Amino acid sequence: MADVKDLLARPNTESAERGSGPREITFIEAIREALDEEMERDERVVLLGLDIGRFGGIFGETAGLYDKYGAKRVIDTPIAEAYIAGSAVGLAISGRVRPVAELMFADFIANAMDEIASKAGKWRYMHGGLMDVPLVYRLPEGAVGGAGAEHSQCPEANLYSAMGLYLVVPSTPADAKGLLKSAIRDNNPVCFFEHKALYFTKGIVPDGEHLIPLGKADVKREGSDVTVVAWALMVHKALEAAEQLAQEGISVEVIDPRGLRPLDMDTILGSLRKTGRIVFAQEAPKTGGNASEIIAIIAEEALDLLAAPIKRVAAPDIPVPQCIAMEQKYLPTTAQIVDAVRDVLK
Amino acid sequence: MATKDQLIGFYEMMYRIMYWEQYLLVMIDEGHVSGIPHMGRGQEAVPTGACAALREDDYIMYAHRGCGYQIAKGLGLSKIYGDFLANMEGTCTGLGAGIVHIAWPDLGIMGQSGTLGEGLPIAGGLAMAAKYAGTDQVCIAFFGDGTSNRGVFQESLNASSIWKLPVIWLCENNLYGISGDIRSMSATGNIVDRAPAYNMPGVLVDGMDPEAVYDAVAAAVERARRGEGPTLIEAATYRYSGHYYGEPGLYRTQEEVEEWLKKDPIPNLAARLVAEGHATEADLAAIRTRVEQEVKDAAQKALKAPMPPEGRMFEHVYAPEAVTQAGERSA
Repeated sequence: MADVKDLLARPNTESAERGSGPREITFIEAIREALDEEMERDERVVLLGLDIGRFGGIFGETAGLYDKYGAKRVIDTPIAEAYIAGSAVGLAISGRVRPVAELMFADFIANAMDEIASKAGKWRYMHGGLMDVPLVYRLPEGAVGGAGAEHSQCPEANLYSAMGLYLVVPSTPADAKGLLKSAIRDNNPVCFFEHKALYFTKGIVPDGEHLIPLGKADVKREGSDVTVVAWALMVHKALEAAEQLAQEGISVEVIDPRGLRPLDMDTILGSLRKTGRIVFAQEAPKTGGNASEIIAIIAEEALDLLAAPIKRVAAPDIPVPQCIAMEQKYLPTTAQIVDAVRDVLK
Repeated sequence: MATKDQLIGFYEMMYRIMYWEQYLLVMIDEGHVSGIPHMGRGQEAVPTGACAALREDDYIMYAHRGCGYQIAKGLGLSKIYGDFLANMEGTCTGLGAGIVHIAWPDLGIMGQSGTLGEGLPIAGGLAMAAKYAGTDQVCIAFFGDGTSNRGVFQESLNASSIWKLPVIWLCENNLYGISGDIRSMSATGNIVDRAPAYNMPGVLVDGMDPEAVYDAVAAAVERARRGEGPTLIEAATYRYSGHYYGEPGLYRTQEEVEEWLKKDPIPNLAARLVAEGHATEADLAAIRTRVEQEVKDAAQKALKAPMPPEGRMFEHVYAPEAVTQAGERSA
């Protein structure tokens, strides 16, 4: 997991050598590779956002791209989130540009909410399908390093109620790369959440063209006793919990939906059919989060599959505290997932 | 300066916009159309003059004050009625219903934001797209005086100026945002007074004179096509009706309304055309007769169109196919 030092340090901007089989790279390198490859492949792909040009992005996510593609395609914007989000809609409906707009912190969707929820998400519908809105909003999310209540949220659920938007949430470098490339090629507006604590984690990424379809869950670990559904950083805590529980002979299946809309309910229900017990792990506060919505679908469509009540592991219903010590207490933990799994097995 | 033919064209277009709207109100009164139009009677000179300075491939992001923008940009009259009727004749084939969502991308009519001013960043994005693609297209963003107080006004004008975007910010100042009097809602006497803050030209024009609007917009369009950036234009105008159909506008004095009625762009241009020898009363009467028939035919065509099929409201939320390879679509 990244800590504050990682986020403050300027990251290594050299990607691992490509073309030599599967490589181990960081999540942020995977993001950068996806942007680079799609920009190279399709000159309609244009980036816009704060400090993404010569500066390379505050997380190093666009390092090198300004030098390679120039100011015309890597556009530094003023601090004007509504303009960033809204101009991306204008660029997209022109049919000439496929913008990837970064909001620096996912929390800033609030500064651009009408443009994202009611313009990007609804423009196609409101105008009878006359225009596509092929754009990606890159939204760095999550609590890390004491960034406080306004720079740490996981606001997927804020956009979940905005119909018309796809929501994609990768948890590994390989998923980040394959899903971002697919998101850029998709003709729908895609909100692409990247957990900041994952940025400097490493993982194997396949060589060559690597695309992952949107809306397909991934079974991160197979198991037979309990299903744990988790996304973003919580996938890794769920995998840690599964590893610990395996020592006790408890077999946990970890499902990463990799996106909340389209939502791969088939994979979740398929797993539940096998285990009969399910735990959700989300970093956002428990109330009003995406876990609740998936649980509602289970209640409506698959209550008979449940051998035990459902458990949610989530943050408490408070703002993210700024103090790092409190932030650590705020965040849902591996131990809480372990306890929840034991609970549903009672 | 407009030519004689252009002036006659302005008269015809303003009359078309006015008559189209009056006939819409008849259709509402007869129960064919639901919804609450925001009438543009009195403001016909602005879209008429502005759109006359555009090419077919130029973009507009229109405002909700009447449908003059779409009409002047060349959209078929029956299609706009179809949008009000929410039937298959409408541009949105049932999914739009009225003033807000009417679109025809082939004519650069790129839709509208129902929330005031939130189309300004979209207009900026369209101008960025034209610049990116290396075309010399421009975009006009129409908005009202009330909208000029939204934060997106600042974000959009600033961005357009730093990047010299080919966009014309066209404020129709009709003095009122519903009942809010701009003279007590704006820190600047005129909206155009803010242009120097964005380092762009600001032009105040008589919005009751289509030729004045045309001249100002044509100059701004030429400047934008030359790559010299945006212009803020403020057209001083007035709406003769309330904010929406049925709203009586009692926050205005009778004296003020009567003063502005003297500036009605349609009879005033008719008088000028006759006085300057460009047209006879009979010529103008012939235009009116032709336009009235055109409007009535459009209304009949729209009224005869079928309603959308069952299930239409579930369509077009998402693009049906993802593009997974360059130029290739997967099912």
